[in-house]
Amino acid sequence: MTRTHRPRKLLAAGGLAALILALAACGQDYPNSTFNHHTEYNTLIDALWDKLLFWGTVVFVLVEALLVYVMFKYRRREGGPAPKHVHGNTTLEIMWTVAPALILVFIAVPTVQTIFRTQAKAAPNSLEVEVIGHQWWWEFRYPQYGIVTANELYLPIGHTANFTLRTRDVVHSFWIPQMGGKRDLISYNKPNYVWFTPDSALASSAWNGFCAEYCGASHANMKFRVFTVTPAEFQAWAQHQKTPAAFGAVAGATPHRAPGADTTPPPPPPPQLAAVQPAAGYISFPREKMDVAMVPATPTPEGLTFPDNLVGDAERGRQIYSSQSCIGCHAIAGNPVSFSEIGPNLTHVGSRTTIAAGLFPNDTRHLALWIKNSRAMKPGSIMPTMGKNQYDPITKTRLTIGLDDQQIADVVAYLQALK
Amino acid sequence: MATTAAAPTYATPTAHEPTGVWSWLTTVDHKRIGVMYLYTSLFFFVFGGLEAVVLRMQLAGPNGRLVSAEMYNQLFTMHGTTMIFLAVMPLSAVFFNFLIPLQIGARDVAFPRLNAFSYWVYALGGVFITLPIFFMLAPNGGWFGYAPLSTNQYSPGLNMDFWVLGLQILGISSLAAGFNFITTVINMRAPGMNLMRMPIFTWMAFITQFLIVLAFPAITIALVFLQFDRFFGTTFYETVAGADPLLWQHLFWVFGHPEVYILIMPAFGLVSEVIPVHSRKPLFGYPVMVYSGIMIGILGFGVWAHHMFAVGMGPIGDTVFSLTTMLIAIPTGVKIFNWVATLWGGSIRFTTANLFAIGLVSLFTIGGISGVMHSSPPADLQQTDTYFVVAHFHYVLFGGSMMGIFAGIYHYFPKMFGRLMNERLGHWHFWVNFVGMNLTFFPMHFSGLLGMPRRIYTYDSAQGWDTFNMISTIGSIMVAVATLFFIYNFFKSRRSGPIAGNDPWGGATLEWSIPSPPPDYNFQTLPHVTSRYPLWDITSPEMTADVPHTPSHGKGDGQADDGIHVEHGYPTARELGIPMPNPSIKPLIVAFLIVVMFGSLIFLHVGHKPLAQIVGIGSAIAMAIVLVSWLLTPLEDEH
Repeated sequence: MTRTHRPRKLLAAGGLAALILALAACGQDYPNSTFNHHTEYNTLIDALWDKLLFWGTVVFVLVEALLVYVMFKYRRREGGPAPKHVHGNTTLEIMWTVAPALILVFIAVPTVQTIFRTQAKAAPNSLEVEVIGHQWWWEFRYPQYGIVTANELYLPIGHTANFTLRTRDVVHSFWIPQMGGKRDLISYNKPNYVWFTPDSALASSAWNGFCAEYCGASHANMKFRVFTVTPAEFQAWAQHQKTPAAFGAVAGATPHRAPGADTTPPPPPPPQLAAVQPAAGYISFPREKMDVAMVPATPTPEGLTFPDNLVGDAERGRQIYSSQSCIGCHAIAGNPVSFSEIGPNLTHVGSRTTIAAGLFPNDTRHLALWIKNSRAMKPGSIMPTMGKNQYDPITKTRLTIGLDDQQIADVVAYLQALK
Repeated sequence: MATTAAAPTYATPTAHEPTGVWSWLTTVDHKRIGVMYLYTSLFFFVFGGLEAVVLRMQLAGPNGRLVSAEMYNQLFTMHGTTMIFLAVMPLSAVFFNFLIPLQIGARDVAFPRLNAFSYWVYALGGVFITLPIFFMLAPNGGWFGYAPLSTNQYSPGLNMDFWVLGLQILGISSLAAGFNFITTVINMRAPGMNLMRMPIFTWMAFITQFLIVLAFPAITIALVFLQFDRFFGTTFYETVAGADPLLWQHLFWVFGHPEVYILIMPAFGLVSEVIPVHSRKPLFGYPVMVYSGIMIGILGFGVWAHHMFAVGMGPIGDTVFSLTTMLIAIPTGVKIFNWVATLWGGSIRFTTANLFAIGLVSLFTIGGISGVMHSSPPADLQQTDTYFVVAHFHYVLFGGSMMGIFAGIYHYFPKMFGRLMNERLGHWHFWVNFVGMNLTFFPMHFSGLLGMPRRIYTYDSAQGWDTFNMISTIGSIMVAVATLFFIYNFFKSRRSGPIAGNDPWGGATLEWSIPSPPPDYNFQTLPHVTSRYPLWDITSPEMTADVPHTPSHGKGDGQADDGIHVEHGYPTARELGIPMPNPSIKPLIVAFLIVVMFGSLIFLHVGHKPLAQIVGIGSAIAMAIVLVSWLLTPLEDEH
């Protein structure tokens, strides 16, 4: 029986492919790389990772080299010497029990140090951010500012942000790969905490955030955007977010406030931040500065269309919004009938860059399609299908009532006016 | 190759075994049950593999649209569930069943009918949990089934019902088999075979059974709670009713981590059998291999929360579970080095079996190293729930368990079927599999560290993940092609492979002293074991000169004392006067009724309460009646 050597050529081809892969990998951008450290948290993790990678590589090279050597040296040859029948060697075996143990000490000590450093209490006077997970979107609250927003997180550079993590339903996990490790959102009443400080040297920039724990149908579509901005920009953004809706606000309608928060006075903003003059004219992170990796390119479902020649009227849209089921879930500060907390707060939805938790860009077409049939746009979406004659993939029925295209265009105009 | 290609010295073996479907349905022969496990688990391995290929096709490029989100979630849940519970565990059970009695010189397992029962519960439970995918009703909450996502409130459909009930059913099979094998190993060893003379595979299998009987109760409890929540309105996992969402996670991982060792330990055992035989050297440091296996088994129960570093246990909890996890690397490392030392100075034959065994050593090392990387909680917080973890456990389970199992199949196929597998096709299988496996899983280290979360059915372009995902998909297709080589080789060799004879590889242990395939009674006369390598004592005495021996005498054990001998031919059990257990259909009937009993809860969930009661209680009564009749029927005829 002769053995074929073709499989070995296959191995060579595989090695070549791996090389090409490595080369290809070097020429690309990695917008979600965990190796970039823009916070002290990620810097600590990365220092630990370097040690793990070093010792891991040492062990890998040692074992695999030994294995390859043995395979070539001791492969069976015609007329070769008969093997010596060694049953063991106590000294050797003690050696290769102790050596890995020693390597583990080099890993364990910095590990434990880093555990305690990264899980220490956040510095006093941090920016408090409450993160509330929902299937499948993110609610962000800034209790020191009385701000409630969704799917877009603004963080001032050089200031520690302390996150309180809660979930309204199932377990989620809060993760911004470039900022640090993830932390689960396990319940509403038993919050988790994580804190980090975006480097003060960072330019105003956008980052991706993800839900990292499987949470049901649209787990893949539970993303968010993070904007690290200058303290002045942050102050301006916060000031703007605190104001009621920019369109059709009823005088005297107070900004929305979380229930329970009314009984205790809001904690003061961090003094170093409060001292900063807001940047004039700044409302939100400029879209043109967003990296292409932060702009979703999710295709829209086939067969779901919207005429692009319809012109919406914001005032009509406000009336439709306020008299339809929209107000059953959404809140808009300044709109006295819209105060529900089930869905994302829409007070400043017009100034956001994405909709549907980072799934689509926030533009006229996507917003219209979303209102028309969000369940076709995002699997499992809890927001009902609204468009007349649309097929709801969850109830498996075709709507006989609902909004016609003109009404949707009006609502879109209203939402877009909510800068 | 020269040794393996030895011309057959005698005609095709003919075991005097009954044939026909009925004989398979009623068999209580551990070898035939092992063969049924083999075919069934290979079927599920292919099925789970096809699920994986669909997953990879969906992720080949950004915004893939091959399957819907719902279908993807069902597929990845079932891929994990299938591979763990229906493929790798039962593939190990193939060897428990087939090998343990042969290796310890016994005529069968301790409870032959319970053994058949284990198989039928597994096979029927596997069908129960697999069929729903054809109706878009397959479980969709992940193989880990995290509550509260798996409760009625967030998974109202029947999907997770099938998962909860299916896993309960499969747990019965594993537990029954576990107790059976523990009893077998303790009670049925041939005279002279003390524990430190037990073949290393049997040792690892023995440890595995303890892991099974200690770990499965934890998931059984977790599943009973979930079952009650889903069907009877309790609130064990309802967070709104005050449940702690970590209850499920702790219970699940108290099972889930030992489960990892349940999956890998038998493969360690197989490799420890294959490497020495194909390198013509005794296993280096047999006692240390045994002790390190025991250490891994014990430590494996103290590390579960390293799956939960992100849940916020606090720095003390993180530290404890981090350090215990690192400790496991020590006995595991010892095993790796002992395998290399076994190869060192040997005369290594690159048979397919040995290639797969060495493949395990090289690939499991990678999985072990990445395992140490996420034993460090701060680093793990960047790695967990990303593709880095997917890469890690596929190096452990595919590069480890499956490589070991393939080594075992190529090594023991001749013993099971009396014919050798084709080495040329075997080499193709190995190399295509090896390259494909690395192409699939190595890039996942990168995509994970570059921020790609797990369990996402789609991803956006421009995230830096496209190239890695495309390569992974190409690799997965290579693995599928490699599996085709294996399947073709398997059936071709089964029909027309060269006749193997008793001992095609020059084995050291008792299973190689009897014909291939072994007769139903295994040993005409029970061997009397005098050393750790009983067969080498006859065939290669120079190999065993240094191990302790006791003189061969069979005083007081009631057995004929033949010492160690090689047996040929197939006299019938009747001719030899060996009492054999009678075949019985009752284990199959009881297994079927158990599945019906659990399945009746599905009727409850679709609103047919009377039907559920009738079917549930009816099947329970019927099961009790058959069970009593089974227990009142003697195993063997009067003699």
